[in-house]
Amino acid sequence: MISLEGVTYSYMPGINALDHIDLNIGAGELVAIVGENGAGKTTLVKHINGLLKPSEGRVTVCGLDSKAVTVASLARKVGLVFQNPDHQLFAETIEKELSFALVNFGLPPDEIKRRTEWAISEFELSQYAGRSPFMLSGGERKRLALASVLCYGPEVLILDEPTTGQDNRQKVRMASLLHKLNQQGKTVLVVTHDMEFVSDYIPRVVVMSHGRVIADGQSGDVLVRRDILERASLVPPQLAEISWELGLDPPSIRLDDVVARLAKLIGGAKA
Amino acid sequence: MKVFKGFEYRRGTTPIHALDPRAKLVYLMLFMALAILYSNPLVLIMIFASSLPMVAIARVFSKWAISIRGSFIFVAFIFLFNLLALYFWGGNTLEVAVLSSLSMAIRFISLISIFSTFFLTTSPEDMTQSMVQMKIPYDYALTFNMAMRFVPTLSKEAQYIMDAQKSRGLEMEKGNLVARVKNYIPVLIPLIISSFRRAELVADAMESRAFGASKKRTSIYVLRFGGKDALFVSIALASFFALLSLRLLLSVP
Repeated sequence: MISLEGVTYSYMPGINALDHIDLNIGAGELVAIVGENGAGKTTLVKHINGLLKPSEGRVTVCGLDSKAVTVASLARKVGLVFQNPDHQLFAETIEKELSFALVNFGLPPDEIKRRTEWAISEFELSQYAGRSPFMLSGGERKRLALASVLCYGPEVLILDEPTTGQDNRQKVRMASLLHKLNQQGKTVLVVTHDMEFVSDYIPRVVVMSHGRVIADGQSGDVLVRRDILERASLVPPQLAEISWELGLDPPSIRLDDVVARLAKLIGGAKA
Repeated sequence: MKVFKGFEYRRGTTPIHALDPRAKLVYLMLFMALAILYSNPLVLIMIFASSLPMVAIARVFSKWAISIRGSFIFVAFIFLFNLLALYFWGGNTLEVAVLSSLSMAIRFISLISIFSTFFLTTSPEDMTQSMVQMKIPYDYALTFNMAMRFVPTLSKEAQYIMDAQKSRGLEMEKGNLVARVKNYIPVLIPLIISSFRRAELVADAMESRAFGASKKRTSIYVLRFGGKDALFVSIALASFFALLSLRLLLSVP
């Protein structure tokens, strides 16, 4: 679905923001991209929808070479939701905001109407219908920005820091939405610093540091590796830390698993 | 948006960087006046050339070149527009039309060069301080300083916004002239709104640090107009009068 081969990119000569990245993401995968500030996460995802073209190497998405097609034609397949909703909201009403991409991609009017209505109900925005996007609160603006991308139905969805500024209820909702999309066969990438969110909800994780991929695998395997997390300045998930402290071997990030083994440990001590 | 890099101050240790902003301001004003006064292409080229030694001494050539390169599209537009207007609607001969559009273009590029040199080598803080020492009220000086300070921030933000809208299928280069101008609406509105939001934030941050609490402000250091500054101003004045004499004595247009 998405394949990066030896991708290198630099904003300034001499400093590689991406340094020979090889990465394959299959259709229908749910993947987190984590790493320290400036590791190259956002630069990486900008390559996937063609906003940036590699200085070296090749990016292929849905069989299209990113160098050969325009951003608009790649954006039709890859939806990218940026961190800050204020960088994209502009329309007079929520409906117009939602239909912006649909109009750009030339969908027929009745389809635009149907999808806009779907997005409004899906994201619980109906109470604000007909109002300006700027009237919404921070969290609601973030949801609207996400809705405005989701409503055109891209095959790949990339979310940059979707959980910042969201309370736990919204995080849980976000997680269930991601799983729902994933079940519909969408490929979903999440760029984040929220390690608990990753360890609880996202099966595969790619760790980046200084423009390189330093680990890639099942969250349960990667997020318990102290060396990797330290290199990328990441907070270990609490369960991983508990596992290390208790000397559980192998360490785990699953609550039921840790609890079961903890119970066994206590039981063993008593006997 | 890269063109702003050609006006962004970077710390430097050259004699030009060390000059008092007021001395550089004198140069800026004098040569700006000359650029507006003259329409002879040769004199305008000399005005342009006046900034070159400064660029060389300050070692800011590559940044300066960004501003010059970035202005080419405007220069081309100014030249073509004037040429068409003067020739077809103004009823001038082709020679007059070409010459005067050429001087328009060179005038513009000279002004860009002078301003670029000034801003590349003058720190915004020194600029504010010099304005205060010139008895400009602090509030106005600070407003000017902050406006300058936020130019790079704004240009970065414009880039973010363009990325976000392109990701939603906006094609900025699509359509005729009217459509292209309309394509900028989805970029300009978020830019303006977030500027308002930021202005409010900055105001709050300033007030929470007691901005305006004392009526009389003192400065931790004061700019001194020294011998080097006097020398620089003398050279600027001498070149100014030399160029001005071309008009007064030889009545060069």
